Amino acid sequence: MSKQQIFEIIVGHILELLPELEGHTFHPEDQLKDLGANSLDRAEIVMMTMESLGLQIPRVEFANVKNIGELAEVFYAKATAV
Amino acid sequence: MQKQPQSNLIISGVGVTSSIGQGKEAFASALLAGSHAFSVMERPGRQHDSAFIGAEIPSLNIPDSFSKRNLRTASYTGQVALVTLHEAWQDAKLDGVDPHRIGLIIGGSNTQQRELVQVQEAYHDRAFFIRPNYAVSFMDSDVCGLCTEQFGIRGMAYTIGGASASGQAAIIQAIYAVQTGQVDVCIAMGALMDLSYWECQAFRSIGAMGSERYADDPAKACRPFDTNRDGFIYGESCGAVVIERADFARERAGEDVKPYARLSGWAMSMDANRNPNPSYEGEVRVIQQALAQADLTAQEIDYINPHGTGSHIGDETELAAIRDCQLSHAYINATKSIIGHGLSAAGTVEVIATLLQMEASMLHPTRNLEDPIDPDLHWVRQEAIPHHIQHALTLSMGFGGVNTALCLSRVPNNG
Repeated sequence: MSKQQIFEIIVGHILELLPELEGHTFHPEDQLKDLGANSLDRAEIVMMTMESLGLQIPRVEFANVKNIGELAEVFYAKATAV
Repeated sequence: MQKQPQSNLIISGVGVTSSIGQGKEAFASALLAGSHAFSVMERPGRQHDSAFIGAEIPSLNIPDSFSKRNLRTASYTGQVALVTLHEAWQDAKLDGVDPHRIGLIIGGSNTQQRELVQVQEAYHDRAFFIRPNYAVSFMDSDVCGLCTEQFGIRGMAYTIGGASASGQAAIIQAIYAVQTGQVDVCIAMGALMDLSYWECQAFRSIGAMGSERYADDPAKACRPFDTNRDGFIYGESCGAVVIERADFARERAGEDVKPYARLSGWAMSMDANRNPNPSYEGEVRVIQQALAQADLTAQEIDYINPHGTGSHIGDETELAAIRDCQLSHAYINATKSIIGHGLSAAGTVEVIATLLQMEASMLHPTRNLEDPIDPDLHWVRQEAIPHHIQHALTLSMGFGGVNTALCLSRVPNNG
């Protein structure tokens, strides 16, 4: 799976949780917080993405993630390491 | 007993959601008509190789102003709480009240069982992926969170449990909060207790929940105080009442807010008994305490809204207590015969039923009361009747030896 595909999966889950973002053009630099996702929403988006990818990643590994591009990077690294 | 100063607390707003209608107008007219919605229940998670009879809320009309984000993750109990509180809030015109001086007490514990079971079953084989939101939503206090955020409540808010007396326990706690000056306005809610099939099955197994006898005739299953009753029948409901001092309401809103009634007496009394069985002594005691608090004689009570679930021993015990408290003259009906037993919600919803009957100067019928276990009491039977309630007594009892009683007195200029 490519990094772009993972990015799109993340965007899909963001829209599922925050449908008011429909029509927004998502960029890797976008921060979930700035998009209106509170801490609970962010945990949900991460968990939904893990389930979509069939990955179980400890929460601590997302500690330094700054934006959705970096989030995709973490998932991509894990997905390709399997 | 020491004489208490007369209470100056009133109920200044109500909200109600039930199987027979959302909103007080729909609820009142369906009550007086004796409408019902009993059938085999269909809400997902409520049946499992079973056919429990009950009354479910057909649909929910949700105001556009509600936070979409909160609604997406709110349990059914939470959604119903929001719409019910919305009605009470508008009714009492609370928008101008200092939010730091408004409190909320939600009666009911373990009120979201059906949704929890659904989540647990969905993630049973993939526990790692359980939605993180569950960490927040499984607690009953999430309903407080939803409500305080939506309405900007900044006084206190918490849930309290008293089994089937939770709704009245919340009212009593709200009374204390206003009396002690903790807040100026306190909303008491009886939350919708959302049963899963596990609770339905267990209630049936202990002989509390009917109805095997009327499995093929759901309309007849719910029959409090009738000789042929075979247990309580569940019904979804939720109620909210706004409690404040009469002078505070007058000062803040003048004639715009109308007191439904004065909260003249209240009492809670335990049986020192962990079990589900009722206690004649406990019920007599709580009735006497509430009357003493209200400074009313039994003779002055002209309407009783009893607990009346349709349980074998519960109904018999309650009528014995009513008779021996010299209340046989008062009119009596059973709201649960129309909407079923709302468990945590019942105490609040039945207070609202009493207030709306007071307002309408009518008493609602008691469905299925064909052969009353005590025909000598002053029953309202198949048809609504006119009656101008002056002083009402409402009763709730809960598993674990909980007894509560409230006296509601007509405010002189109220119709």
